[in-house]
Amino acid sequence: MVSPALQSLIDQGLFERIPATFATYFLEQFKEWALLFPAEQNYFERLFTLINRTPSNEFDALRAVERKMGVNEKNWPRRSFTLDQVDFLNRNPHYPEWRSGIAAIFAKLNPMLDQEIQRKGRPRLSIVLSPPELPVGPDRLWTRLRGKRVALAEPLDVAPLVSLLSAPEPRPYDRWLIQTGRDIELGAAVSMSYDALEPYRQRLMREVQQVVEKEQIRGPRELGARLKQMKLLPGEGVSDLLLAEFTRSILLAGNGTLLVNNTFVEWAAVQAIRRARPSLIITAFGIRNKMKPFSSLLIFDDPDKANPIPAQGDMLGTYVDLEVLYLYIWQEFEKYAEYVRNTVHVFAAPGLEEMLVISPPDFTLNKPDSKALASACREWLQWA
Amino acid sequence: MLSKRQFLQAAGVTIANQLKVSGADPAESARKVIIVTFGGGVRYAETFTREGLRNIPRLAALQGQGYFYRDCRNLGVLSHFNSTASIVTGQWQRVDDFGFQPPASTTIFEAYRKQRKANPQDAWAICTNKSFANISGAAGANVVLPKQLLLEAVKDVVRRGEGLGVADRDNVQRRLASILQEGYEGVGWTVFKGGRSLDQKVQRTLTHALVEYINGPEAPASGDELTFFIAREVMREFSPRLILVNFWDMDVAHWGAYSLYLQAVTRTDRLTGMLWDEVQANPAYRDRTTMLVLPELGRDGDINTANGFLNHRSGDASCRNMWMLALGAGKGETEQPVAHIDATATAARMLEIPFECAGRPLPGIS
Repeated sequence: MVSPALQSLIDQGLFERIPATFATYFLEQFKEWALLFPAEQNYFERLFTLINRTPSNEFDALRAVERKMGVNEKNWPRRSFTLDQVDFLNRNPHYPEWRSGIAAIFAKLNPMLDQEIQRKGRPRLSIVLSPPELPVGPDRLWTRLRGKRVALAEPLDVAPLVSLLSAPEPRPYDRWLIQTGRDIELGAAVSMSYDALEPYRQRLMREVQQVVEKEQIRGPRELGARLKQMKLLPGEGVSDLLLAEFTRSILLAGNGTLLVNNTFVEWAAVQAIRRARPSLIITAFGIRNKMKPFSSLLIFDDPDKANPIPAQGDMLGTYVDLEVLYLYIWQEFEKYAEYVRNTVHVFAAPGLEEMLVISPPDFTLNKPDSKALASACREWLQWA
Repeated sequence: MLSKRQFLQAAGVTIANQLKVSGADPAESARKVIIVTFGGGVRYAETFTREGLRNIPRLAALQGQGYFYRDCRNLGVLSHFNSTASIVTGQWQRVDDFGFQPPASTTIFEAYRKQRKANPQDAWAICTNKSFANISGAAGANVVLPKQLLLEAVKDVVRRGEGLGVADRDNVQRRLASILQEGYEGVGWTVFKGGRSLDQKVQRTLTHALVEYINGPEAPASGDELTFFIAREVMREFSPRLILVNFWDMDVAHWGAYSLYLQAVTRTDRLTGMLWDEVQANPAYRDRTTMLVLPELGRDGDINTANGFLNHRSGDASCRNMWMLALGAGKGETEQPVAHIDATATAARMLEIPFECAGRPLPGIS
């Protein structure tokens, strides 16, 4: 059940007036309205309110591409969105043109939506923690980012920063902690840990292996539909339905999130930023294990069972991996109006005496120590 | 225990025993073509840029010895099978992304064998990507999928969970022997489609060699090393005129570990360099071989994509715009745009066969 505002637009026939390939995708999204974050629901309401005010001829170019593609009621029923339609788009020779058409529509709509967001903007904070075991000094960390390097008077203590997560009066899904291990304990915030999800990950690997080997699955799209059924069970660490579905989608995204701890953390952070638009997110990376011989071949097997040689941390490899992942996380923030010119980014590591800060000019740090940093961040967020 | 070389020789003998020998032998002086793909996808950023050259020292050194096309474009579907199928047909392919269908038009392998009435052993596709069984078309090359063989062997050991698993050499050896007794069809080497069982001697040879390969000091983390050794052995045993070598380790990028991706790029560079060394050392190839080296596709750029190097679905310039290096057919460099499908047209010209396709022979080489 969608929000009353959106339901009203649907009842008024908005989705019958806009091009079919555009409308159907969103109608499909609305079917799982309860599994959307408040920020997503808000976005859809604003988007379609704006579209409702947009002259119909703004969609003429996309309608023309749809005609060339042969979109009709038979191959594109407006009220359903299936894998066949995804295939239809991907294989159509006019697919690049269609993508351009969609991009052109959003190129017009997004600036208007962004202006609205910027008018109601509020300060945000991102803290990205590197694992303390990395074999490099701070001068070789965060090399793909441009910011201010701040020398700390003492090794960084993350506890004061983490305490921000449990500040009073949190908004729903507005504060996130995403970590590889379970080093950081917290109170009132969304918490995701690669290690804590081990029972679910192990079950997923078994089930995915079963599906791939025993069922006649033809490629990732069919596999994706099958994977959608592999939901978290009670007792596997996540009780909130929305977060359970978010977790499932992160682990089964088709990339290495199920297999590599830091990939999980990065992709979960990127998706949290994209979907939930939190005010505060702490992202804590760890050390990735070295690949054992054959574990890269048997991707859905537990490497410890496939090869009983004890796992070893890949310190240098982790360092190389993270230098790219820091960039990707920072970039993700920069894609959204909520964060541009509004966000303090702190890149640090427990026990390290230097950090990198990317911030608007009005963020000030009076004393270079952990408590003062936490205090400045709290002040920045305007939290009491 | 047999060495890797002995194993591959044995494997080569096995293949030879299964092949029909018919038609005319190619002339000794005939030009040969090897197409090498950086399969899985690699970006310009990690290869022929100032920062990227450190990852490809062999190709960087070979660049000046060949003809370098700075602007080679993949304008087709950015999946592995469709990209390589486009390379071997000279037409942009839009078939099943995962190799369930053969390419929709004639492959250079089919055309070559038909036009030149060439022996089956004169055209080979040696591919790490295990979904490439259909890549050469119905009557094209012998298709060998070394990684699939390795995968099946290791998988079987792990599934059974006996003792120390793959760390137990005897355990691995027993399982390999069992797999091989059941025949090759199940492990993807389509060259053995006829279904004849392997003789006992070859079974023993292969079993011993694979166990050594798996547990030896250079224990493979992937299939590309095995692909190289098989390719080299095929060159030594059969001297085919047309070979596709598909490396694929770098698709580990999907796992999100940049260091593993870079390692795979460097490994592919090294193996490609070693293939060219073999061309220079092997009298059947020296001075008569054109080797075309190109990425199958790129990967998403760092900016404005879902997750940068992990994927290759955005269609941005980083995905589509790559390079091609032609070795053994002239020296030079051009910024003139060429395309993946031009590799096939060029190969057809080198093989002196008529071949209708959308691609055009590459400029600057002959």
